Amino acid sequence: MYKKAISFIIRDLILATSYKFEFFLRFFFMLFSILTFYFVSKLVGGAGMAHLEAYGGDYFSFVLIGIAFSGYLMTALRSFSESIRGEQMMGTLEAMLVTPTDTSAIVTLSSLWSFIFMSFRVFMYLVIGILLGVDMSNANVFAALIILVLTIICFGSIGILSASFIMVLKRGDPINMFFMSTSELFGGVLFPISILPEWLRTISHLLPITYSLSGMRHALLQGYSLSALAPEITALIVFSVVLVPMGLLSFKYAVKRAKIDGSLVQY
Amino acid sequence: MEYTIETHDLTKRFALQKGFTNFLRHPFRKDEMTAVYDVNLKIKSGELFGILGPNGAGKTTLIKMLCTLILPSVGTARVNGYDIAKDSGKVKESIGFVTSDERSFYWRLTGRHNLRFFASLHNYYSDCAEERIDELLSLVGMKERGDDRFLSYSAGMKQRMAIARGLLNDPAVLFMDEPTRALDPGAAQNVRKFVKEHITGDEGKTVFLSTHHLPEAEELCDRIAIINEGRIVAVGTLDELKSTLDKPDPGLGDVFTHYTGKEFERGAAPNHVYQGRRGMMGGGRPRGMRF
Repeated sequence: MYKKAISFIIRDLILATSYKFEFFLRFFFMLFSILTFYFVSKLVGGAGMAHLEAYGGDYFSFVLIGIAFSGYLMTALRSFSESIRGEQMMGTLEAMLVTPTDTSAIVTLSSLWSFIFMSFRVFMYLVIGILLGVDMSNANVFAALIILVLTIICFGSIGILSASFIMVLKRGDPINMFFMSTSELFGGVLFPISILPEWLRTISHLLPITYSLSGMRHALLQGYSLSALAPEITALIVFSVVLVPMGLLSFKYAVKRAKIDGSLVQY
Repeated sequence: MEYTIETHDLTKRFALQKGFTNFLRHPFRKDEMTAVYDVNLKIKSGELFGILGPNGAGKTTLIKMLCTLILPSVGTARVNGYDIAKDSGKVKESIGFVTSDERSFYWRLTGRHNLRFFASLHNYYSDCAEERIDELLSLVGMKERGDDRFLSYSAGMKQRMAIARGLLNDPAVLFMDEPTRALDPGAAQNVRKFVKEHITGDEGKTVFLSTHHLPEAEELCDRIAIINEGRIVAVGTLDELKSTLDKPDPGLGDVFTHYTGKEFERGAAPNHVYQGRRGMMGGGRPRGMRF
């Protein structure tokens, strides 16, 4: 399987770098969002200190981790469904589906490049953040990697669930719309969820991104040990146990549905 | 296994999209159209079988069912001994699919990169894949252009690459969906020659070819099935089909009109052009294609 994965990565790397200007622009404009939040944090100063204390007390560090790692959710929500739509629109999906490679594998492997690109982006975010004064000297990298793996599994499953709807409905996927619209507000991307009223915080606790970002901040900014991160890790494992089979089964059903409708390659 | 492809009452019905008013008036009514109806075919190994029909007759739906891209509503089919619904993975291992859609490649990759990628989907990697790709590029006469971007190829070259891709896994059965649709008469003639001489001749593969060009079916196919509005209305060799007509020296066009009630579309070239070109079949290169 890894050889197949490499083939997909090479294909997407060649395709991405064949549009050289866009490839470099994406890196260049990445700087702008970081700088925006850097200056917002200068303005905010210590205003929200009470809410930020649990994460080290600095708003820029807080929001840097938020925008960097929420990118994985956005990537997951977009990449699976966009890989299907992209292949459908390019006309290559049919040629791929008559090969012995399983449809789920095709969709999953088609998204690999997006996750690699996102990881590189996150790395760049963190490097720029450190250059702008974010303190990660105590970071527990091993714990952060465990949280990252669980985050990708959880978000990836949501992405596959979302792709199932795209496979059948072609447009108007409710999973994507739900997570896109709720994650920034309730997931603690731009502000700590402790600011939210108690009753709204309930929604935050139902979203995997809440545990992912909280765990990542504790691991990278405060160097929490694995045992201290147990609540976040346990929550992410529970989400994975529920979401992975749900995503795979729904995708299997969606492919069967599309084969019955004859709409596999329609968009 | 007596037959390489065998279908029993193969039927495909598609649900029709309802308009908004219709949906409100009859929310539970299911409107359907039958694209392929009760198809029973038996195709032997090494046979070049043509399915001939006008646009919208059901040729592509039938091919897509046999390639496992669409599930049948009723009936069964076996390809290379495997059931298309229950053993779709095994079916896909033993077939190749050649489409006339040139968009089915990555245009910004080279021809070789494209083949390398699709080879990996067939579980061919590294040296094994490279060897096969080199062999196929030579076979379809694209060795010199293999490292050029796909977008720089002519329509004929793109079709040659489609054939090379269809042969990547050395399939026992090759499905070809209107393989000459986008080609000029000369290029189309070369594709036909390659299919006849190399794919079925030298390699002995079973070819299931759909076309709406009568001369193509006439020139290539061992047996022809005429499909009209989803139903197979006649099957046989060219002579058998002609013999069913009570008319002196009938052509396939007459057979087609007799069974479908329709005049055939004169496509890339009319019959007399093909009659003239048929004399060229014996000449030229024994292997490989040139356009």
